[in-house]
Amino acid sequence: MPTAKHKSILSAAGAYVVLLPLAVITLVPFVWLVTSAFKSREQFFGSMFLPRGDGLLGVDWAALTLENFTRLFSEIAIGRALLNSLFLSSVTALLATLCCAAGGYALAMYKFKGRGICLAIVLAALIVPAPLLIAPGYQVLFKLGLLDTYTGLILPGIAPAFGVFLFRQSVLQSVPPELLEAGRLDGCGELGIFARVVLPLLRPMTGAFLMITFLAMWNNFIGPQIVLQSPDKQPLSVAIAQLKGVYYEDYGLMMAGTLVSVAPVAVLFLLLQRDFVSGLTLGAVK
Amino acid sequence: MTATRHGRFAPYLFLAPFLAVFAVFVAYPLAQSVVLSTRQMFGPTASTYVGLDNFRFLLQDPLFHKAVRNTLVFTAGSLFIQLPVALGLALLLDRPGLRGRNALRLVFFAPQLVGLVFLAVMASVIFQKRTGVLNQILEEVLGDRLGWVLQSGPWLDYPWLESQVMWALILSALWMYAGLNMVYFLAALQNVDRSLKEAASIDGAGVVRRFFAVTLPAITPVAGFVVLLSVVGSLQLFELPYILLNAGGGPDNQGLTIVTYLYQSGFETGDLGYASAIGWVLAIMLAVFTLLQRFVLRGRNA
Amino acid sequence: MKQQPPHTTTTTRAPRFGAGPGWLSYFSLGGWAVVVVALVSTVLVLLPDDRVEADVTLWTFAPPHARMYRPLLDEWEQDGSQGSVSIETLSLPALERRMLGGFMSGVPVADLIEAERRVASRAFGGPVESVGFLDLTDRLREDGLLEAINESSFGPWTYRGRVFGLPHDVHPVMLCYRADLVEAAGIDVGEIETWDDFARIMRPLMADNDGDGAPDRYLISFWPTYIDNIEPLILQAGDGLFDDDDMVRFATETNARVIATMATWVAGPDRIAADVPEFSAAGNKLKLDGYIVAALMPDWLSNIWRQQLPELSGKLKLMPLPAWEPGGRRTSVWGGTMLGIPKSADNPDELWQYAKRLYLSPELSRSLYTEGDIISPVRAHWDDPIYDTPDEFFGNQPKGRMYIDLAPEVPRRTSSPFNKMALERVQDALIRLSREVESDPGLSGAALRSRALELLREAENEVRARMMRNVIATGAAGGSAP
Repeated sequence: MPTAKHKSILSAAGAYVVLLPLAVITLVPFVWLVTSAFKSREQFFGSMFLPRGDGLLGVDWAALTLENFTRLFSEIAIGRALLNSLFLSSVTALLATLCCAAGGYALAMYKFKGRGICLAIVLAALIVPAPLLIAPGYQVLFKLGLLDTYTGLILPGIAPAFGVFLFRQSVLQSVPPELLEAGRLDGCGELGIFARVVLPLLRPMTGAFLMITFLAMWNNFIGPQIVLQSPDKQPLSVAIAQLKGVYYEDYGLMMAGTLVSVAPVAVLFLLLQRDFVSGLTLGAVK
Repeated sequence: MTATRHGRFAPYLFLAPFLAVFAVFVAYPLAQSVVLSTRQMFGPTASTYVGLDNFRFLLQDPLFHKAVRNTLVFTAGSLFIQLPVALGLALLLDRPGLRGRNALRLVFFAPQLVGLVFLAVMASVIFQKRTGVLNQILEEVLGDRLGWVLQSGPWLDYPWLESQVMWALILSALWMYAGLNMVYFLAALQNVDRSLKEAASIDGAGVVRRFFAVTLPAITPVAGFVVLLSVVGSLQLFELPYILLNAGGGPDNQGLTIVTYLYQSGFETGDLGYASAIGWVLAIMLAVFTLLQRFVLRGRNA
Repeated sequence: MKQQPPHTTTTTRAPRFGAGPGWLSYFSLGGWAVVVVALVSTVLVLLPDDRVEADVTLWTFAPPHARMYRPLLDEWEQDGSQGSVSIETLSLPALERRMLGGFMSGVPVADLIEAERRVASRAFGGPVESVGFLDLTDRLREDGLLEAINESSFGPWTYRGRVFGLPHDVHPVMLCYRADLVEAAGIDVGEIETWDDFARIMRPLMADNDGDGAPDRYLISFWPTYIDNIEPLILQAGDGLFDDDDMVRFATETNARVIATMATWVAGPDRIAADVPEFSAAGNKLKLDGYIVAALMPDWLSNIWRQQLPELSGKLKLMPLPAWEPGGRRTSVWGGTMLGIPKSADNPDELWQYAKRLYLSPELSRSLYTEGDIISPVRAHWDDPIYDTPDEFFGNQPKGRMYIDLAPEVPRRTSSPFNKMALERVQDALIRLSREVESDPGLSGAALRSRALELLREAENEVRARMMRNVIATGAAGGSAP
């Protein structure tokens, strides 16, 4: 007589049958990425993943090499690109999170003249498709003299409308107005209330939004390509694409570069995973 | 819901950064784009007024038609292949008693982290004609069968990157984005009231019936959101084909999408005016679709 | 999450998450990681750059070029005859973007820009006054360089009669073939005068010896999807894609014949071509396997093959291209680079000296050949015996001399930025025609040619429509930014 427990084990097993192979397929490119980064040019097409040989597990461990990475940092000077990426992504993420949190908080918790208009602006901004703004946006940056500057890339990204929207939702959900009153009674300034009462309550969304904007700027390829011209300002996304353009046959080098550009985001993602998922779904599961 | 006494300027100060950025980088460019779309340009300084000529040319521009067609094909692929896969994965992950759910979720989501250049390099390696992995696998598995699908030649020679660029793009996008949509669906599924499902199963409903009668209606709002996101994103597809096809549209421009064409017109040819015109046509397409979806969903929710 | 009861408290304490330290209440660990990274990276990024600026910056797109120039430039810097030159290698798209960014938006560019043909033509999109490069015509004339340099090499850098770049090369094209296979089959390439001869005489090499129903090999590496193949062959036939006024014109009988022939090369019962891409590991493997007998070979491509396919050494030989008709042209042109000086530079005369010295030096010409297999456009340097040395890779032929002998016949090309578009439309026509030949093998001869002409006409009209609507290029209106 199948019990509920038997049934659930069976259904879980059934799920595994499908999920595990798919998971493996999904991971294969990553394995390829990691193994390729450590292979030298000659070894590259000798085998799909690890070089074959006489070592443990039939793998020629001695053939693995760090030369791709050393070339990346010395010949190609990817260190600068890495620094640029870290700078652009972290600063944008931080500023965007603070601005959107502030904006969302204001829209959610304050009653003021023009609130309706501001809300309408946020909703309207959500609808405007980004490609429509590329061409005139470029012209604006040109007129402001912001082309080829970090500011020109960061500034437009510090207040995305969907961020304000997300934070507004989050504030409405997580911040009880009584707390704000309590804060005011205690003589806390508005900024103080925001910083010390509201922000902590928004911690999951803050973490999520930091991750979202960090990742978006990290992988942003077209933006830097259009706005930044000097090579010493270019981030990893453009530098790796440049690798593809100049050293197109050198797969090992390109994979090593990709690994360098994936590692920091992967680390950040591991740290912020839970926040990220809950924040992401907050917007969807209204 | 709101306090009665507070600093009068506080909300304005909190909103100031957003409003300032919005004004300079969204509102003004939006207005400018209308002006630009009536001009022909060569870089941000040289321009001349051409009235509605950009739109007139756009309407009969074969490259633009091709771009629209390609983009719609890709969107259909996303909608009818990627989303069901994402939903399927989510349903599987939603099983009670499934251990390692978080780990599996991470695995399927991970492709989001790699970036498009890697995807492009990998895709070019996978979809190569004779030496590509996909063709080698297909040759192994299918051999001579299903030959009617091909017009000539063995699977080994199947020219993905020549004549089936869209398929290569759809499959690449599937790998990259299925996990993201799966996360949304999974969150929605986990919010479905379990008691409703149990009640249905007690009433004798099978798994399939339960899905359509209980689960699907319950996740419709999220599903609608995901569909909207997916279509809007697909219609604006740009970076993936751009990098995969080396800044071009691919052979016979099969991989040319609307936004790629917009970018090429604006930043390679230099005609920011034409690019603005394309942008507006795209905006109208998006608006039409959004309204359509609202309409359909409202009907269903009634 | 603990909440403070709203009615007590004399101090407002932030609610805490669990029992962690207070600072974790604002951001999670990951969040603080971002904050730290932001602060540290800001400091590092804003650190002043203590790099020493070179006197002159040069942009190029090919690492081999950079490698050739570096020793010469270092030598001239050390002996005090000129200043320091820094070379920056960019990918072609990046070079194009930054060059255009500089011309159109005033973003800083290098002092000397080495541009490949496709990139350079972007500069010629507007009226002559708007070209971002310096007009070098008068300087060239004064220094006698218009005669000293191979004439056709100026083609892609000449716009409305003015020259904007110093040519880097000639790039004649020959046909490279597997001498080992050809001679073993007893074929005498001296008998091949035209492409029809080629297809006919080389056909026995396509025998199916392994019995798998498909030819063991194909005769020529050519495929419609590889657009770079198409232009040299069209140029060879004589009509080209543009007329003398740089207006698009390619729907001619000659070109129709070329396209029709190409279509039969890749499709239908007379197929002799296979897709063996250059610059790819997959293509290289096919070449090593002898999957194709011959390939178009401009001088620079011989260097690539030498580097990537050492196993083929001694097995290859070169011959002039089979002509399109008896007595026709036996070479073509593929690729091209120029050195230009941006108008925005402060010291054009000085930069002109740098440019001339580098490009016209005998050392560079020698270097171009020994390291890049490229023949110099400077006619005076053609006497150098280095070009006569037998090349082991190519069956001990005097490769350099063979290319130089073809230089006078190299066709002159347009500088129009619409060239790429025209070529793409021709490619589309070719692809369509090939499909039609594939599905209807009976389509051949005069019928095929007239269909080709039809498709070419359609394509030409489309390009012309775009060219005509481009009022800015024609300078018909002189507007300014709104």
